[in-house]
Amino acid sequence: MDNTILLGAVAYDPKVVSIWEGIRQYFNESGTPLDFALFSNYERQVESLLAGHIDIAWNTPLAHVRVRQRTAGASLSLGMRDSDRDFHAKIIVRTDAGITSLQDLHGRRLAVGSRDSTQARILPLHFLKEEGVDLGRVHLVPFDTDLGKHGDTGTSELDVLRALVEGRADAGAVGDLVWVLEQAAGHVDPARLEVLYTTPGFDHCMFDALPTLSPVKREGFVRSLFAMRWDDPVHRRLLELEGLREWMPPREEGYQSLIDALAEERTLAAAG
Amino acid sequence: MTADRWEERPSPAGAIAIDGGDLPLGGGLLALVRPALTLLEPGGLLAILSRGRGVADDLESWCRAERNDYLGAEVLGDGTTHYLVRRGRFGVHRSAEPANDVAQELPPRADAATGFAPHGTVVEAGGPLYPFDLVERDHVTAPEVTELYEQAVAAQWSAARDIPWDTIPRHEPALELAVRQVMTFLAENELSALYVPSRFIARLHPAYVGVAMFLATQMQDESRHIDVFLRRARATASPSAISSSTTSHSLHSLLQVHDFTESAFLLSVLGEGTFLDLLAYVERFAPDEATAELARRARIDEARHVHFGMAHVRHALAHDATLYPRLELAVRHRAATLSGTGGVPAPVQDALTIYAAGSSDPKRIRHGHDAFRELLATMHEGRTRRLRSAGFTAEQAQMLSDLHTPNFM
Repeated sequence: MDNTILLGAVAYDPKVVSIWEGIRQYFNESGTPLDFALFSNYERQVESLLAGHIDIAWNTPLAHVRVRQRTAGASLSLGMRDSDRDFHAKIIVRTDAGITSLQDLHGRRLAVGSRDSTQARILPLHFLKEEGVDLGRVHLVPFDTDLGKHGDTGTSELDVLRALVEGRADAGAVGDLVWVLEQAAGHVDPARLEVLYTTPGFDHCMFDALPTLSPVKREGFVRSLFAMRWDDPVHRRLLELEGLREWMPPREEGYQSLIDALAEERTLAAAG
Repeated sequence: MTADRWEERPSPAGAIAIDGGDLPLGGGLLALVRPALTLLEPGGLLAILSRGRGVADDLESWCRAERNDYLGAEVLGDGTTHYLVRRGRFGVHRSAEPANDVAQELPPRADAATGFAPHGTVVEAGGPLYPFDLVERDHVTAPEVTELYEQAVAAQWSAARDIPWDTIPRHEPALELAVRQVMTFLAENELSALYVPSRFIARLHPAYVGVAMFLATQMQDESRHIDVFLRRARATASPSAISSSTTSHSLHSLLQVHDFTESAFLLSVLGEGTFLDLLAYVERFAPDEATAELARRARIDEARHVHFGMAHVRHALAHDATLYPRLELAVRHRAATLSGTGGVPAPVQDALTIYAAGSSDPKRIRHGHDAFRELLATMHEGRTRRLRSAGFTAEQAQMLSDLHTPNFM
């Protein structure tokens, strides 16, 4: 029986090829045969996983929640990045916009990322609503770039920051990593932009599999994945490209806010 | 925060407090936070006093991005907030003690992962492995290398400025040709002495950069020698010189040697050592002041190369006695490669004879021929003396000198 794991990933950037070629080589050398298939969008990747065309999918939170729901919670969660835990979204404002509270957002322009971006659109809006902001009274300035990529490219978040700097929006929603890394790199003028609000934490990407995944594949995958080390130059190159320092075991509680947000959207859609 | 709060969070990994003033995280605060964290071991505590706008929002996110633990904030009365961060286990750690550069001893074996990081640097883990394969201290360096490097730097001279080129007269045609042949032969050999060390610099681990720096001065010397020898050759009114296949085979065989110590032995101890006597000959019988001066200056440089070659080989032999048979084998192997290529190349022998005679007059030529024969004997004595000094027995030294290339280098 062929025990080669077929893993699906979405090609949101040319570096995705380097990442998975590197991981494929490392897995094969560490005794876990693995190959990968690249998709152009998460919707098709989720369908392919559910149809059994691939064994494991490297999924965004949105894709992960869909897999959980479509399998009635029976899917296997295999692992996540350290950077996937305790993600936050930030509402950034122009310092000259005179916005000092969430209520001040009413009547103002709020730049948001792609409609399938968890950190730059879905959850910041969900939490703003929970905080009592009436989204019907906020003028959304959406950047629906790279749809299907679920915000992976980060393009729409950089679009949001640019819109703020250029005065095309008064406030904007971005993920915390983009925000602090842009600051740490010296790309943000702290005199012009500041944080108005930080959302509660939520979790990000996850390796998903169907419950029918063979134990050999499952154990091999987990063993090789968690043997990767930051101090190993070969592993480190891959971990840097994928944006993590170490792989972490899965956990589900970090997706509840997204599940709630999607349920609300469905309710609204049904009502509308 | 007061001293009592520190005692609530005891940390064996150390604690540091910094005052961030009113700097925002993305507006300079990180330039204080990041260096402070490198002074802590994983688990160490960093206290940050800050009046910066937005720091409360940004510091926690930054800690998550960099895998440090954000432990919380305490608002003090005067608009200042006191943040506490526990350093994570990634990233580099450096001792808070002043670096003691004098006490930095060269490592016996260098680590390929430290790359070009200067010796003594704190090297972050996870860098690529470099392809340096000369990584054993006692096979590449010698205690004298720093002093020889300093001497070399102080002794640099200029081919254009330091040779009295305008004193060269027109000599008789046979002597003009002899000068061109001798100078061209010297340049050809010095070209090999330029190329051979370059192959080892690229393989030397930068922990032993002192050796690479000395070799760089050696290469600079050789470049200058090539320059003056060719200038002198081209200052003659004579037909072209000949490059013999014996010379070509001999120099080619130097490029076949991949061991640094074997190469230093063949090139510097035996080859350049022999050249010291050749250059003394060229100076002694020089037909004009410019030629005497360039030979004198080249010989002083070459003596330094021989000195380093000797120091290197002696040091390596002192640490690895198995090198004796290996060096002997290298000489035998080269001699076998060159067997059948003939003796001293005829154009060189004839040119050196006429050069020493200073004329094509048969009576003078007899003296020139005697001088050449004396040169061969002097070279053999010099080699034997240097081999004895390196630690070979009299018998071995005699035999190895006899096996040396007829091309001198």
